[in-house]
Amino acid sequence: MKYSILLVSLFLLIAPLDVFANQNGTAQSKTLISDTITIGSEPDYPPYCMVDENGNAVGFSIDLFKAAAAAVDLKVNIKIGIWNKVKRDLAEGRLDALPLVGRTPEREEIFDFTMPYLSMHGAVFVRKGTKGIDSVEDLKNKEVAVMEGDNAEEFVRRERISNKIFTTKTFEEAFRNLAAGQYDAVITHRVMGINLLKRIGTKSVKPLNFKLQNFRQDFCFAVQEGNSALLSRLNEGLSIIIANDTYEKIRLKWFGPTVKESITAGDIAKIAVYVFIPLFLIMSAIWIVVLRREVRRRTKSLQEEISRHKNTLEELRKQKLLLNEMEKISKVGGWEYDVQTGNTNWTEGMYNIYALKQGEYDPSDYKKNADFFYPEYKNQIIQAFTDTLKTGKPYELLAKLKSADNDDKWVRLRDLPEIEHGKVLRVYGNFLDVTEMKLISDEIKERGERINLLLNSTAEGIYGIDLGGRCTFCNASALELLGFDNENQVIGKNMHALVHHSRQDGSERPESECKIFQAFNVGKGTHADDEVMWKSDGTAFRAEYFSYPIRQNGEIIGCVVTFWDITQRKEAEEELRNLKDSLEKQVKERTAELRDKVEKLNKSQRAMLYMVEDLNSITSELQEERRKLELSNKELEAFAYSVSHDLRAPLRAINGFSGFLMEDYADKLDEEGKRLLSVIRQNADKMDALIADILSLSRISRVEMSFEKVDMYTLAKSTFDEIATDDEKQVFEFNISELPPAVGDVNLLGQLWQNLIGNALKYSSKSENKKIEIEYRENNDKVIYCIKDEGAGFNPKYKDKLFGVFQRLHKDSEFEGTGVGLAVVQRVVHRHNGEIWAEGEVNKGAAFYFSIPRSDKFPNN
Amino acid sequence: MGHINDVEILIVEDNPNDAEMALRALKKNNLANNVLVVEDGEEALDFIFTKGKYSGKEKDSRPKVILLDLKLPKVDGLEVLREIKGDEETKIIPVVVLTSSKEESDLVESYRLGVNSYIVKPVDFDKFVSAVRDLGLYWLLLNQRPY
Repeated sequence: MKYSILLVSLFLLIAPLDVFANQNGTAQSKTLISDTITIGSEPDYPPYCMVDENGNAVGFSIDLFKAAAAAVDLKVNIKIGIWNKVKRDLAEGRLDALPLVGRTPEREEIFDFTMPYLSMHGAVFVRKGTKGIDSVEDLKNKEVAVMEGDNAEEFVRRERISNKIFTTKTFEEAFRNLAAGQYDAVITHRVMGINLLKRIGTKSVKPLNFKLQNFRQDFCFAVQEGNSALLSRLNEGLSIIIANDTYEKIRLKWFGPTVKESITAGDIAKIAVYVFIPLFLIMSAIWIVVLRREVRRRTKSLQEEISRHKNTLEELRKQKLLLNEMEKISKVGGWEYDVQTGNTNWTEGMYNIYALKQGEYDPSDYKKNADFFYPEYKNQIIQAFTDTLKTGKPYELLAKLKSADNDDKWVRLRDLPEIEHGKVLRVYGNFLDVTEMKLISDEIKERGERINLLLNSTAEGIYGIDLGGRCTFCNASALELLGFDNENQVIGKNMHALVHHSRQDGSERPESECKIFQAFNVGKGTHADDEVMWKSDGTAFRAEYFSYPIRQNGEIIGCVVTFWDITQRKEAEEELRNLKDSLEKQVKERTAELRDKVEKLNKSQRAMLYMVEDLNSITSELQEERRKLELSNKELEAFAYSVSHDLRAPLRAINGFSGFLMEDYADKLDEEGKRLLSVIRQNADKMDALIADILSLSRISRVEMSFEKVDMYTLAKSTFDEIATDDEKQVFEFNISELPPAVGDVNLLGQLWQNLIGNALKYSSKSENKKIEIEYRENNDKVIYCIKDEGAGFNPKYKDKLFGVFQRLHKDSEFEGTGVGLAVVQRVVHRHNGEIWAEGEVNKGAAFYFSIPRSDKFPNN
Repeated sequence: MGHINDVEILIVEDNPNDAEMALRALKKNNLANNVLVVEDGEEALDFIFTKGKYSGKEKDSRPKVILLDLKLPKVDGLEVLREIKGDEETKIIPVVVLTSSKEESDLVESYRLGVNSYIVKPVDFDKFVSAVRDLGLYWLLLNQRPY
């Protein structure tokens, strides 16, 4: 009773302040707390928190909490757990409140407390009969047990009550242990300790009578630090139940009989007179003072609040301006959608993105808003938003819209729902205009693709490595050259270990000697064409490569390697080298051979030079001869001319004047005289004939020939017709074959036929058979013409003489002639490069054959 | 032989035997009137162009035909021929070349220079006579302008 009155007084002192202080918060946060809360209760803190035989939480604090909660329409779920657990659960938000928490400085840090509804003092419990513990100081070297995490533990540790502190899970355990002879003492709240001992039926333990200064404990409900809404409601509930006597009823239920029994009516009167009245007076005075002070404090605080509020408004205005500016700069817009009201709010930035005017456009219809988007995105956006409303799943999208001023924009859309008890209350979201970024990223992407295309379409293998030698990229040619199927087989791998680990002879190539790595180790491009690279199948190929450092902001971050297979080139080079060697050898051999030959040639050349000299001298001799010949030809011509003029003139005179003598003096000459004159004249004629024939022969030798195709048949036949007399034509049988043509001088060949046919006529004149046959034979290179008669013929013994000048086989008296005709014929044939021969027999005729080289075998000149 | 202005046939011949034979042949053809024989080319030209010892001759009187031997002292027959045929006044005079042989190359040159005809001087005189006859000199002499 004493406690309850004290408590109510205390409450009256404090409650209005708290209620007032928390009014704003309560009103504000009302909607933020749900109507069902979960609290945690210890099983063994009698009579405040315990469990009954059914396992339900019971106790003074439990009843009190339930009553307070019910007074403000809160429903309470109770979870039971040991103290340390429930304490942690509240601190970490798994519980909304605890019904019984002693208020300590340590706990102020993590909990908020209602007004205290109970104040308890601590006590030292010992086994009955324990001596020597009369004050706190006596505990110094005693073994003291407390419940782990209890304010008793906090107290004994804070005050350094003992050096030997033990903890147990519950106080029940501590008491049982104490009763069983462990520890020297247990420290806990007196009321609770007595109740607990009673409940567990331990009689060998008793509390000592001295007070534990600084271990007077105020008990409250506790909520999580900062949960002022719940705190206010619980305070309100507490006020209500204290005011309407519910508190008293509960107190009576748990403590009533015990207290009542110990307090008599006299006591009450005493208390009333000696304690309560003065106390009331004192309290009233104190209250007034406190109230005044509180009003002053409150007024000041309100003024501060108002000015803070003003500041806050100003701050808000500034922040809104700032927000607008920020939105403009960063092209961001924000929106919120209230599910219950269906209202939509847009920030200035949203209007900017859509190119709409705030106040002229109502953004409440999200479907209408979505119309600004290109069709392929519109439905996607509506779908995502509806999903958020239904399931609370946030979305993030990239979409393209056409703003009110016909501008195409790429926008990144995000939303985030606010959910309470599984229901979406609001959705917040933002738009980010990423057009420029999108363009840039598209361009980067395109550029990347172009670079990739370029990389992959070059025949050279190209790969990049970082400073650790790991592959960062690799083009298609490189994969092919190195025998890999895809770049995942090389990306991230140490390229030295993968393709450059060994030399051609198989010996290891340490990384320290790797020229490729030198590119970034030394920071300079390197090149090699005398190394091998290894393919995935374990074979090697001879490679040429360039390795250049890659710099980013001046820092070398790796290198790029360009390489190609030079196996064939190397082989070709070697082949060339071998060829060159063998060629050099051959050249040497040939040079030696040539030298020999040159020496031999020099000798032959000298010999030839001598020959040429000889030839030159022969040529000049020949020229001299030719000159002489020409000279003699001219002399011959002059001779012939003089013969024709000068030799003939006397002959003409002899002949002419003999004739004149005959004409003018015939009557004076006798027959002998006339005969003699006629002999003179005959000889003159004969001489003239001889001269004519010699001239003819000479002319044939000298005349310049003009070669042409000569129809030998016509030529021979017309010659016969020309020179044969009519009588001869009558008596002669003249047979001529179709002679083939000849190439020659038509005048000379005409002379030839004239002489031959003339001879045939002449030497047949006295024969019985007068027959002339002209025939031919031909072979590859010549035509042989033949003229036969059946006349006087000749003795073949003298056939060599036939063609000599002035050579005759017949007497003049038999056949007249000068002996020049056949010489002329032979000369003509020889001038045509032909041959002539004769067959004959005396009185049986003669046959003359001559050959003329075939026309195509004979030069035109 | 008549006056120099009446010369109808001019014989240019250095061999007196040949000249005599020519005259005889002309006579046999009854063409021997008014024949003048000169013995070299120079005299022939003097006569034809009325100069030297023939400067007294009338310019208009010209022989009706000239018999010209080619082989002549001083100025040879071809030169004489060239001068006759090179002059407008004299080129109309028919010139007959007397040659020893038709094979002589001079003959070709004679034709080139414009000779009208030729006679081969034969050893047989009868042939010479008939050649003169064949030449038609008679006809030439009768007709002032035979061409």
